[in-house]
Amino acid sequence: MRPELGGASDALLDRARRGDARAFEQLALEIERPLYRHAARMLGHDDAEDAVQDALLSAWKSMASFEGTSFRAWVFRIVTNRALDRLRSRKRHPELPLDPPSETDDSVSWAEPTAPGPELADLAADREALRVVEDALATIPADQRACLLLRDVEGFAYEEIAIITSTEIGTVKSRIHRGRLAVRNVLISRGWKGSTG
Amino acid sequence: MHPFGDLSAYMDEALSSEARASVQAHLDTCTLCRTRLAELRGTARLIAALPMPVPSRSLVPRVSVPVWLAPLRTFSTFASGAAIFLFLALSVIAYFPRVQSAGTAAAPAAARPAATGAGDTSLQPPSSLNFGAPSPSAAPVVTSDRSGAGQSATPGDATKEVGRQDSASPASNSVAAQSTRVSNAPVPEPAPFAFLLSPWLWLVLAVAFAAISFVVGRRLRST
Repeated sequence: MRPELGGASDALLDRARRGDARAFEQLALEIERPLYRHAARMLGHDDAEDAVQDALLSAWKSMASFEGTSFRAWVFRIVTNRALDRLRSRKRHPELPLDPPSETDDSVSWAEPTAPGPELADLAADREALRVVEDALATIPADQRACLLLRDVEGFAYEEIAIITSTEIGTVKSRIHRGRLAVRNVLISRGWKGSTG
Repeated sequence: MHPFGDLSAYMDEALSSEARASVQAHLDTCTLCRTRLAELRGTARLIAALPMPVPSRSLVPRVSVPVWLAPLRTFSTFASGAAIFLFLALSVIAYFPRVQSAGTAAAPAAARPAATGAGDTSLQPPSSLNFGAPSPSAAPVVTSDRSGAGQSATPGDATKEVGRQDSASPASNSVAAQSTRVSNAPVPEPAPFAFLLSPWLWLVLAVAFAAISFVVGRRLRST
């Protein structure tokens, strides 16, 4: 799911650190689509392009100070921060609190199926089901959505997500679980069951 | 107690070995938790299967300058410098003929204080003062004519001659003769680079270089 940096990319990273603009462009080109995918699901398509472009330009400007090993995680961190900042600035559509409530994970309710429906495993190819998932993702808090997308779509490890979102790993664990459970509940409420998924 | 809160981390293999073993032991005996785990797995699979949106344009900023564009940086700098230089040259050329004509006009005026009137064209502003292209043959012809008149007539005669011209008297033979002298006078060749003294030329060049510098600079900034 997630392309690892190979030797060629490591060489590109070294060149980009030394100010090689073409090397940076090549690195950015490799993750352009995933970055846009992440930003589009966080912000919607309208703002996603600007957010990604701004983030890549910001990454280039501070490339010399980048000391990590994962260029991909670093740029995803910039894009995620940009997306969360933009969401915070949207006054007309108040979001749910960015910080999760202090209640324990066990208190999160699990919705029960209202009627027998198709298995979740059968829904992967169903456009209607995917649309429901997209709608469900749009309704959960932004910080949960960011963590869930970084895990289930981009394949980052919990430790990487903690760095990307500048949070504790326990918070990441909680946000992923809550977000996943919220999407699951929306699907269940539509009459589907995922007991064999 | 059901370990619901750990099911996602268990699924993602993000639990410590001890916590993982504990959850595993519970799952072996709890049908409800196995069902919940299956639901979470199915949900994660659906999220991962979402179609990938495609941006409508390239989002990678072009931080490197294309090879073909690199010389344009130098050219843009040169063009902006040339535009400034040409504007300065324009100012000098537009001002210099005034000083020169004023100097050349002052000497004959001092030598021939009575030689004033319509015939003394040296006191008229040169055509370059009006930002017009200089007529290379007119001034020299008049000058030679004046020098010819200076050889044969005193300033008083010149005044009389002007008076005769103004009254258009029949005794205009001298005027005809003068015209004959004018037409017969050798017309000097125009200076080969006289057009360089036209301020219009420098103005056009300056504006052209400024426009080139602006367009190239804008193109460079957009990349």
